[in-house]
Amino acid sequence: MISPHLRFEGFDARSWTNLLSLFAPGVRDRVEGDAADTDVPELDLREARSEVVEGTLIIVRADDGRVLRAFHTTRGRVRDLAYDGPQDLERVARAYAARRAVELREGVLDELTETLAQRLERSDDYATQTLVLARIVRELTNAGKIHAWPRPVEDVPIPTAGMVRRALDIVLPDEHALVVALWEHGEPWTAVALRRRDGVLDLAAGPDLLFRWAGPLGGDWRRDHRVLADAVARSVAPVHLGIFAEASQVRALLRDPDPGAWARAVAVRDIIVHPTPPYVAVALGADAARAVARTTSRWLGGFDALKPLAPLASYVRGRVGEVGSITALLGFDPLRALARSLAERPVREPAAPPK
Amino acid sequence: MTSFPAEGRPRAARAGERVELRDRALRVGGRSVPLLSGAVHYWRLERSAWRPALESLVRLGLPIVETYVPWGVHETGPGELDFGRRDARKDLGAFLDLAHELGLLAFVRPGPHINAELTYFGLPERIVYDPACQARSPKGSPVYLFFPPVMFPVPSYASARYHQELGAWYDAVGEVVAQRLWPEGPVALLQVDNEASFYFRDGNYCQDYHPDALAGWHAFLAGRYASIDALNAAHRAAHPAFEACAPPTRFDAQDADGLTPHLDWAAYHEHLVASALLKMRARMERAGMVGVPVVHNLPLGDGGLPLSVPELEGVADLVGFDYYHGRREHRTIKRRTLYLAGTTRFAYAPELGVGAPPWFTPLAHDDSLYCAMTALAFGLRGFNLYMLVDRDRWYGAPIDAAGTARPEADAWRTLIGCLRDIDFHTLERRAEVALVVPREYQRLSRATNLLGPISPTTIEAIGGTPVDGCRDDDLGFAGPVQTLWFRMLARFADALTEAGIPYVYVDGDADAARLAGYRVLITPSYEYASVARWQRVCDAAREGGTLVYGPTLPTLDAQLARHGFEVPRRGRRVLIDTPADATRVVHELADALQLARPFRATPMLLETSVHADARGPRVLFVVNPEKHALDGEVALPAPLRFVDALSGERLSGEATLALRVPAQTVRMLIVEGRDDDAPPPPPSRAPRPRARRGAGTPGGTP
Repeated sequence: MISPHLRFEGFDARSWTNLLSLFAPGVRDRVEGDAADTDVPELDLREARSEVVEGTLIIVRADDGRVLRAFHTTRGRVRDLAYDGPQDLERVARAYAARRAVELREGVLDELTETLAQRLERSDDYATQTLVLARIVRELTNAGKIHAWPRPVEDVPIPTAGMVRRALDIVLPDEHALVVALWEHGEPWTAVALRRRDGVLDLAAGPDLLFRWAGPLGGDWRRDHRVLADAVARSVAPVHLGIFAEASQVRALLRDPDPGAWARAVAVRDIIVHPTPPYVAVALGADAARAVARTTSRWLGGFDALKPLAPLASYVRGRVGEVGSITALLGFDPLRALARSLAERPVREPAAPPK
Repeated sequence: MTSFPAEGRPRAARAGERVELRDRALRVGGRSVPLLSGAVHYWRLERSAWRPALESLVRLGLPIVETYVPWGVHETGPGELDFGRRDARKDLGAFLDLAHELGLLAFVRPGPHINAELTYFGLPERIVYDPACQARSPKGSPVYLFFPPVMFPVPSYASARYHQELGAWYDAVGEVVAQRLWPEGPVALLQVDNEASFYFRDGNYCQDYHPDALAGWHAFLAGRYASIDALNAAHRAAHPAFEACAPPTRFDAQDADGLTPHLDWAAYHEHLVASALLKMRARMERAGMVGVPVVHNLPLGDGGLPLSVPELEGVADLVGFDYYHGRREHRTIKRRTLYLAGTTRFAYAPELGVGAPPWFTPLAHDDSLYCAMTALAFGLRGFNLYMLVDRDRWYGAPIDAAGTARPEADAWRTLIGCLRDIDFHTLERRAEVALVVPREYQRLSRATNLLGPISPTTIEAIGGTPVDGCRDDDLGFAGPVQTLWFRMLARFADALTEAGIPYVYVDGDADAARLAGYRVLITPSYEYASVARWQRVCDAAREGGTLVYGPTLPTLDAQLARHGFEVPRRGRRVLIDTPADATRVVHELADALQLARPFRATPMLLETSVHADARGPRVLFVVNPEKHALDGEVALPAPLRFVDALSGERLSGEATLALRVPAQTVRMLIVEGRDDDAPPPPPSRAPRPRARRGAGTPGGTP
């Protein structure tokens, strides 16, 4: 799925950080955080009170339950930790203003790397390797050797490499490209074009390249998107899916579990999907249908609101069978899983540039 | 410290040597060239971009171009190498010739390990998947590195097969490079291997249990202990022979009695890498790459590395650190630079990050510039901008892949021009206080790290301290030595900074000469200590320094055997538990010894650092690590006039200098002269390299 010779180029620090921040908002905190005021930060419960919730509290325990070490990844060693076991993780995380807390049994990380080494195959690509790693972490968690709070993806099944590959076939077929370009207050914010060739992702091209290929643009992204998509098609590969939007819109949608959110955004052209592969049309249609049904059900006090939509639902069901379903392939809805994972992270909207 | 047999030691510079390191610069044909360079990866650029890229480098004012030579790129099949016959971009010889034509010197790094964000870190796939070459875990499995774009098993530094293979690689590179050593060509500096810290799998028990490494372990023990009885006494064991002594595979000591095998294993790691690098250097020389200085670079997280910088200085002519830090890592930048300044020949950065790879913490232009200027402020004397020219798997370089300068290049051009104008590499930053770092306690920290593959190195590299992951057990001592030593040094660093007293760090294993001249030496000491370190600090105290140590006078040597330690003359034993303890001691020392506090700034959040020569102060750095601007005042020893190196703003003051320092910014103020009408010292102007045909003559101070 990922070529070992993947090319990555055409980004600068700003556009790359912007792209990362969509899926890992903590990266901005890490980049823009305060400098430590000592070489050896430490804290106790009294010092831990902070309005800024950040970082991870890590606790290492021996087999007999003794706490061997506790530290906060951004604030240092924790003195005199009072801890009653995994059920206490949420309490200590909040007490020490940590975004999350992890308990590790002594030696578990060595066990993890040893198991990983035994299971990896030479032919595995990075995505497959990561899935193997995720599976081992899940096993160790189920065995009680790793505990974490919170666990937003605890019920998300870990797909096999084959499942991910088939899902990728839908999202980005071979010899095609996927392009995402986002703007902030009308100015380019980030962009990426991914290419799949010989079954693997072999290129991630950033905005420096995309905008160089496109040449001069008009300045209105709702029109410029076609020029960009055509440029990617000429320089990289035929575009299978393009997503163009204001960054703030995408940030909000990624966190929004509400059915219909994406469909609404497309309908009012807050997001432009161009081209629109069949499964996206189906998904948007299904998304809209669910939203209508839910709303209508509320209005009508539980009346079967889907009945008038039966023809649409029938169309959707038929197409789903035809083009496949990412959720069905993976066993979970990746957008919903991402939304849950991002839900607790505050969205920091950059200020509009001065006029 | 293990010594190498005479025939294995690198040769000292001899008369007639092509190039030598002298006065913190390259001495090339009678000229002195500062170690200022920029990285260009020839094989990653279109051939047509080479000339514009190198010309942009010249316009930036850099006299040296740096490049890796990637084994895994040039090798197209087992025993088949392409240096440009098939792919013109791989023509290393042509690239070096072009650099020579443009008047540049070249810093060449042929690995074999180069990282460079290449798949398999630049090694051929067949090498990393050759079981005879692979490092081994305690259970005999390959040891994987987790970096993208694909995880791979790392080679063993002890593997005879690996050394055999890399020898053939060096021979091939030598055919291209040897004939281009200066003055026949531009190559004036080489590097042996790259960031030799076990490929970041450097937890104490991650590796290396390869048969060749185990053989080396037995030989190491035989060299360390005079007899098997001595080994058994130290290890509290009953081995029939050295070969029967298996290394520890996890930390299982319950008390001090069980520590020695673990500490010996940690020390063996240092020896393993140093001896591997020595072999590599000898092999490079056999391949014709000889007669120019050789560098080695250490990665981030040096506080927890399984490497001894003093020992590596017996292998390479210059050991430096790679810097990839954001503005929030001010203290780390400072600490690392002060360590280099105190421990090595001079502080040098074989890689000073400009931009970053995509799978690293994002770094913006302001981060790279802040990192560079902070490091300069605290004593960095040379650097290689990595990357200068953008390429695949990188972002943020000041020159794009077509060779065109980006707007960010202006700041670098100005900075480099200033450094050359004032011969910054010749200046001195005076420090009267040295914090002596005890290697024997660092080894204990490594051994007691609880996070396995997330080693002290890794923890420090991601923003923690090298002792964050250490267990809190006291192991029978009065306290957990593995964390207390670091805390004591950190408390003193904080107190000295607050007091405006310059200091450096000196590695506890460094040569006695490195400790000479300091008025105060501060070093942690617990129940056990290195006899050699203790002797060196006591000798330094006898020569006139004040030794601050504590909390206890040791009674056990590094093998935890009883030993009588000298009570240092002019010694002061201290117990440092809180920051206030260190502050009190520093104030008392400062008053008693009248320690200098040059150019002290208020508010205390501002830090200053002054660099001088025989004529007096030449450069004043004023550093604001805070996220808000600060209006401050700097105490002046005399009325002085300054010019800001980057902005050109002119400032002056009589007893104080008032200035504003923006958030997370370093102001570099060049002393233009005294404000009392005394003539300013004439600036030294270094000629820039000019593009011309034929043999190039590098620009430098005549």
